[in-house]
Amino acid sequence: MFSHIFKYRMKCLLRDKETVFWTLAFPIVLALFFNLALSGINDQETFRAIDVAVVNDEEYQKDEIFQSVLQEVSTGESPLFNLHVVIKEQAEKMLEDNEVAGYLMAGSPVTLSIKQSGLNQSIIRSFTDYYVQNMATVASIVQKDLGALDSLVNDIENQVTYIKEVSATSAEPNNILSYFYSLIAMACFYGGLQGSRDVSDIQANNTDTAARLNLAPVHKMKTFLTYMSASLLIHYGKMLILLLFLRFVIRVDFGNKLGFVMLTTFVGSIVGLSFGSFVSALLKKSEGAKVAVLIGVSMFLSFLSGMMYQGMKYIIQEKAPLLSYLNPLNLLTDAYYSLYYYDTYSRYVENMLYLAVFIPVFCIGTYLIVRRRKYANL
Amino acid sequence: MVIKVENLVKRYGDLVALDHLSLSVKEGEIFGLLGPNGSGKTTAINSILSLLQYDHGSIEIFGKPMTPEAYGIKRDIGVVMQNVAVYNELTVYDNIDYFCGLYVEGKEKRKKLVQEAIEFTGLQDFIGFYPKKLSGGLLRRLNIACGIAHKPKLIFLDEPTVAIDPQSRNKILEGIVELNRQGATIVYTSHYMEEVEQICTRIMILDKGRAIAQGTKDQLKDMITLGEKITVETSGITPEHIERLKRIPNVLSVEYNGVLVISSGKGQNNLEYVLEFFKKEGLEYGKIYSELPTLNDVFLEITGKELRD
Repeated sequence: MFSHIFKYRMKCLLRDKETVFWTLAFPIVLALFFNLALSGINDQETFRAIDVAVVNDEEYQKDEIFQSVLQEVSTGESPLFNLHVVIKEQAEKMLEDNEVAGYLMAGSPVTLSIKQSGLNQSIIRSFTDYYVQNMATVASIVQKDLGALDSLVNDIENQVTYIKEVSATSAEPNNILSYFYSLIAMACFYGGLQGSRDVSDIQANNTDTAARLNLAPVHKMKTFLTYMSASLLIHYGKMLILLLFLRFVIRVDFGNKLGFVMLTTFVGSIVGLSFGSFVSALLKKSEGAKVAVLIGVSMFLSFLSGMMYQGMKYIIQEKAPLLSYLNPLNLLTDAYYSLYYYDTYSRYVENMLYLAVFIPVFCIGTYLIVRRRKYANL
Repeated sequence: MVIKVENLVKRYGDLVALDHLSLSVKEGEIFGLLGPNGSGKTTAINSILSLLQYDHGSIEIFGKPMTPEAYGIKRDIGVVMQNVAVYNELTVYDNIDYFCGLYVEGKEKRKKLVQEAIEFTGLQDFIGFYPKKLSGGLLRRLNIACGIAHKPKLIFLDEPTVAIDPQSRNKILEGIVELNRQGATIVYTSHYMEEVEQICTRIMILDKGRAIAQGTKDQLKDMITLGEKITVETSGITPEHIERLKRIPNVLSVEYNGVLVISSGKGQNNLEYVLEFFKKEGLEYGKIYSELPTLNDVFLEITGKELRD
């Protein structure tokens, strides 16, 4: 009996064009769109040398150390500054025209002029403070002990860091990936459309075919579980196609833990299906209204997990951290990113545990609603 | 007794959909539930089948209480629902096979039954079609095939001929009689009195959830005073003519509204008298015909309203 119901359920679901569109075609189209829209974002985040002017006056000419330091930070493979040595009037004009982020004037102390505050201005300020601080240290020590000059210069050249930086990851941070991971999470939840149909198709007060099923000598819950099994197999299959598309066509980096990525997608598919069946059981609305609610809710949760605007994820984490744990799409997105970014599994496991809580909640909720055997009206 | 229902009460809020309905269906009968739309026919069927909760009463099928878990009973029941209940994603063959497979295990046995159902409903040329490609009549036939493919002993047909062409309707009615001939007990609901009169061996008339009469069609017609209805297409009828027609023995009423209708009681046919009257008065007429009472007349006399209302 199981195989008979299972086989025909598979046929029904595979020929349900609307569900196939939302669960497979739509995420693929969205992925292509994301790829076009986001392809330049990582390049934009590459550090560019800051345009800085230095006033070429008498003080500057006299201060060889300052000249040498500026020369040092403005050359090489990754220069900090793109240095413009100009007269004061020209420096002021360049600042006014936003051609430089600020201009420096040699002297005691070195002065920095800026027009507005910002990241580039902060970097120039840090550099200036560091330089002024070191020069003051040197001046102070030399004043007390001229003999210490050699070792002092040596110490400055070979500064020792007493804090060891240990990276939690061997992966590069990648902002684009979060968008794609949110997209996969959303696609997992679109499986809810199949879960919703599974419930509708066993509730005699929802569809005529369900009424016919309720008259057959098969336990309703047995039929329902068979339907859900078929839905899970089909939805997971679609999700694997989506993963393959993202990996080999869009070239999304999933790190090197592909087995866990597949496991996460499997769990996500179960959560999505059970979510859809729960919503469908809860809502006494038409099939169209249920589809609209499921797509709307999935979209909204995706938005909160950063699919449309990545900053939203961090805003939620900062302003309403509980919401980030209550949003299964956010947990899924974070699980994927944890697999990609971290070498350890602690954050991934945490996300998956929170996610797993949703499965019994949705399943028990659905069971309590659909278990009734007779209907008040049809 | 195949079905025994006693004092069935079903309420929707303040509305009493079934008001202490009792009925029994014997093996081999075609039992008709006749009533206008909203009279409670479908509610009665759904309650008997344990789909619908009811407030009071008892239901037995094959001598056992009917419950949602009575799978042994359900296995011998076939239902053809009022609305077409098939999957649009499955072909005609797959739909019949799927629903048959819920009752019958064993691929070979099922294959044979499905084939028989296809032939019985005349769907041989459409087995690869999807429901959306079928006409209304063919869809109804598919609906029937899905309900009867497993060869049930008891078949419920809830208005199976709604909104279909006369040809398909006749085919379906012939099929129902054939199923009965093969041994199935049938419960047939309709608001088409001609259909019920044509195929049912026993009839219950429902109105507002109550059984207002039941019996064979002849027994039902015997319950009313009307014995004959003569209709004459004529002109020039005066009130004086009407008064004189009323004096013909056994005439119950005479109505004239462009067409003359003379109703007579049981015991004496008046066609001969009426023809003689027209000849004597020198009145011309077009068609003239005599009809025996219909179930509509039964319904009209008992409830004071037309069955078609």
